[in-house]
Parts: sequence; C-alpha cells; structure tokens
Amino acid sequence: MARTLMRFTGVGGQGVLLAGEIFAAAKIKSGGHGLKTATYTSQVRGGPTVVDITLDDNEIYYPYANDGEISFMLSVADVSFQSFKNGVQEGGIIVIEPNLVNASEEDRKKWKIIEIPIITIAKEEVGNVITQSVVALAIANKFMNAIDKKVLIDTMLSKVPAKVHDINLKAYDLGEKYAIEQGA
Amino acid sequence: METREVISTGNELSAMAAVDAGCMFFGGYPLTPSSEVMHVISDLLPAVGGVSIQMEDEIAGICAVIGASMSGQRALTATSGPGISLKAENLGLAQMAEVPLVCVNVMRGGPSTGLPTRVSQGDVAQAKNPSHGDYRSITLCAGSLAECYTETVRAFNLADRFMQPVFVLLDETLGHMHGKADLPTQEAVKAGIVPRKTFDGPAEEYFPYECGPTEPATLNPMFEGYRYHFTGLHHDRKGFPTEEIETCRKLIQRLDDKVTAHVDELESFEEFMCDDAEVLIVAYGSVSLAAKEAIRHLRADGIKAGLFRPITLWPSPEAKIKEYTDKIKDVLVVELNIGQYMDEVQRASGRLDLKGLYKVNGRPISPYEIANEVKAVF
Repeated sequence: MARTLMRFTGVGGQGVLLAGEIFAAAKIKSGGHGLKTATYTSQVRGGPTVVDITLDDNEIYYPYANDGEISFMLSVADVSFQSFKNGVQEGGIIVIEPNLVNASEEDRKKWKIIEIPIITIAKEEVGNVITQSVVALAIANKFMNAIDKKVLIDTMLSKVPAKVHDINLKAYDLGEKYAIEQGA
Repeated sequence: METREVISTGNELSAMAAVDAGCMFFGGYPLTPSSEVMHVISDLLPAVGGVSIQMEDEIAGICAVIGASMSGQRALTATSGPGISLKAENLGLAQMAEVPLVCVNVMRGGPSTGLPTRVSQGDVAQAKNPSHGDYRSITLCAGSLAECYTETVRAFNLADRFMQPVFVLLDETLGHMHGKADLPTQEAVKAGIVPRKTFDGPAEEYFPYECGPTEPATLNPMFEGYRYHFTGLHHDRKGFPTEEIETCRKLIQRLDDKVTAHVDELESFEEFMCDDAEVLIVAYGSVSLAAKEAIRHLRADGIKAGLFRPITLWPSPEAKIKEYTDKIKDVLVVELNIGQYMDEVQRASGRLDLKGLYKVNGRPISPYEIANEVKAVF
C-alpha cells in the first residue's frame, strides 16, 4: 500500500482527535505503521484544530501530512476548512458538514466536495454529539478503504468506555451508510 | 534485545519511563505542551507507592523535587521553556549542591510565553546554561517516540551517576505525536538501574563533598543518621559555607570536571545513511524525522545525503562532529531556532562555512523544505 494521508479538521473541543488515534492504532495492529499528529491553537475551545493521519506499510518518519499530498480531508468547521483545504491534492475528497462549512464553486471544481451533516447525524440520529468522531471515522474509512473494517471497529471499541459501545457502533453504521449514499 | 510495542504519545512515554526507572516523586506545574507528562505520572505513581504533587507554581515544583531527591528518591519535574526560566535559580542550586533530578522540557515557541501549543527547539541554548555560574549541563534530546522513553530512563541513571540535574528535551511534535514505539521491557529497565552511591562508614567520618577531582558528591538520604549542611554558597567538604580560596576553586572546577572527564559515558548520537554521504544534514529532535524523510527524497534524486543526529546535546559529541565535518564538505544544520546548535557545530568543527536552515514560526520544517534547501545551497 502506498502512503495514505488524511486530515481531520474542526475547532478545539469538537473531539476530532480521537478518530486520528483510532486510525493510527488500527493500522499498527494490522502490522503496518500509523502516526497521528494534532495541531491546535492556544485557545482552549474554538481555535482551528487539525489532525493529520499518516498510514503506511513502511516506516514513517515525518509525522505531518505534506501540503498537496493529502487525499482525504474531513471538516466540521468553516474556519478550519478555509485554513487547511489547500493541503488537499487536486481532485481529492473533502467531506464537509454542510451546516457549518461553506465551500465555494471554485472549491467544488478543485476538489470532490461531499456534504454529509456529520454533527446532525450524531446529535439527532445517534443521540449523542460526541459520537461525531466515530461517524467521521466510518465515513473516512468507507471513502479511503484504509483499514479492515473489523480491525477499525475493534480498535474504536477499545478506546471508548463499554457503556457507550452500542451508540458508537450505531454511529459507525450511520457514518458508513451516509458515505455509501454519497458514492463511497 | 527483547522489546515490547506500545502505542502512545511522547509525553506519555516519558512519564511511563520515569516510573519504570524507579522515579517515586513528581513535583511540578502543568505547562503546555508538557502537561500530559504530569497527567500520566499522577495516575501511575500512586499505584507504585509514589507521590505526585501539583505545586503552586514552577518554582515550588522544582523545590519539591530537590527535597524529594535529598531524601534519596528518584524525582522528576516536567515543564516547557517558560517553566525552565522560572526554575532556573533552583536548577542552579541543584547543580551547586549536587542534587540529582530529571527535568523533562517539552519545547514550545519562545521567548516568554511565546507559542504555547506549537513546536520549537528554542530552549537548546537555555538547557546548556539555565542558571548563572559555571557547571556542565547534561542534556539529552529524544528524536523518536521510543527515545522519549529510553532517554528519560537514561537521564535518571545519569543524574544519579553524576549527581546533578539532567535535562530531557522533547518538543511539541514528539510530545503530542501518537504512534508506535518499540520499547525495552520493564524488566530490562529495572535491571539497568544503577542507584546513586552512598556512604556507609561512621557518621562522624561522612564528608559528602570530599571526593576525587573528577567525581561527584556522595549525598546520603537525609534523616537516616548522616548529617550534612545544604547550601547554594561555595562550601567545604561538610557542606558549610566557605570562602577559603583553594576550596572554592576546587569545588567549581570539580563541578565542571566531573562531567568533562567522563564524556565517554555521556556521548550518544545516531548516524543515518552517512557511509557514502556527500551532503551532511545535522539535526536533532523532531526535526531529524523530517531530515530522514528528506534524505529518502534526495537519494531518490541521486543526491547522497546523510544525517548526523546528536542525542546527548550537552556535552556535545564534539569529536564525532569534527570527524564528519572534516570528511564531508557540504553541511546543513537544520533547527527550529536561529542556529542555537549551529554555534556548537561550528565550534566543534572549527568551520564557519556551514549552512543553516532555521524556522521560528511555530511550524515544523517539512522534508521538502530541507530537500529543496540542500539542492539550492550545494
């Protein structure tokens, strides 16, 4: 497998970090290499946050995604989308939360912009907004086929408390469903 | 060597290493981007009978650690550059009184409060001389997740061997990056612990600062029947203040010589693809990760580049730096500061024609920036 570079962006406090940790750990459990880095501002909440995920069968040294090499980005905040979209290669996939992110016509020409209301799904269909990172995880994996689904779900479950396993599984299924509807 | 695979962050690995190396006390104050060291060790220490205290500020944090160490325990503090600035006076006290301790510094942008959440290597010069006066810093710099663990372990053993503070430098990138680390087993770490020397003769014959000209003091734990005086003033063999000319000279000379006479025990570095290298990149910490990736790109383009990475930054691996810079003409020093280690590479190499690539905006240096600089300047 060639290197897979993904970027999750939001604002501080939304919980975009967890999905990155799960991806990296799942890749390592599959016998490969995975690294997650998070960049955030000194604002506790509300500052743009970016998580870079690098997955490779070979050893990875540099832990950040190089601008122009990212093939998948997911964004749940406009400030982050605008700040970090240029790291995505032309023709790459950017999944946005349409209620919070505004993509221009120019953006839509340059990248494959996919609208999935991730936060609404988590809040209203799953019933807990915190599960948005697992909805995002499922969407990203469905588009990228980065990790074996079972390994990814097992890794996810190992990182959340047992009492919320059911709603996180529901969140995963819903994320996958919406991704398929959007052509994944 | 038998290893175990751990998926974690640099900060967490550093805290785990401290406990595995026998640390029983943490005193500090949470400071971004080092806070997770304290969070994690606060969970770990009570489980092994140790103590972790969030003190009222950075100064109290280092003071508590000095006290814990004087009672014979291995002790840790963790902070970032602004915290080191506050701790400086008491780091000097620990140098003067020869109190072993480990200080993890997860570097962020400075000076002052700078860029709290962003990466930097701006504390390299500070680590050499955080306090006034003459002494020799021992500063280790992790360049991978695994080294956040192994260098913390090494720091504890060196602190007890040399009886002085030892710095472990991480940076925001290493502290927060999350991935796989192949670590030595806990059993191997425990087996490698060399406790500090103690004196077991009659109490009236105990002179903690009476030692050979290149040897450290022997500080027995307080409250166990051996008494000595503790001061930051120049002191005699029993620790009492003195201005006697020869005693004062010998004391400070010994603080320097106890390290410089034993650099062979401290030297540590990595050579990466240096055998046939025609371009030498010198980098350390997280920057070395970008440098390794850059070397892959450069070699794919037919440019034979290699990396020299000091792990013990102070005292520097000066003989090795000289050897490589004598052999290789094109040298690029890459740092997340404005040449703080370049000064040392120049000194050790005796060359002033080395090139530098620096960045101080809180962002990492990418492999492409390094590769492009190599192509542009050589």
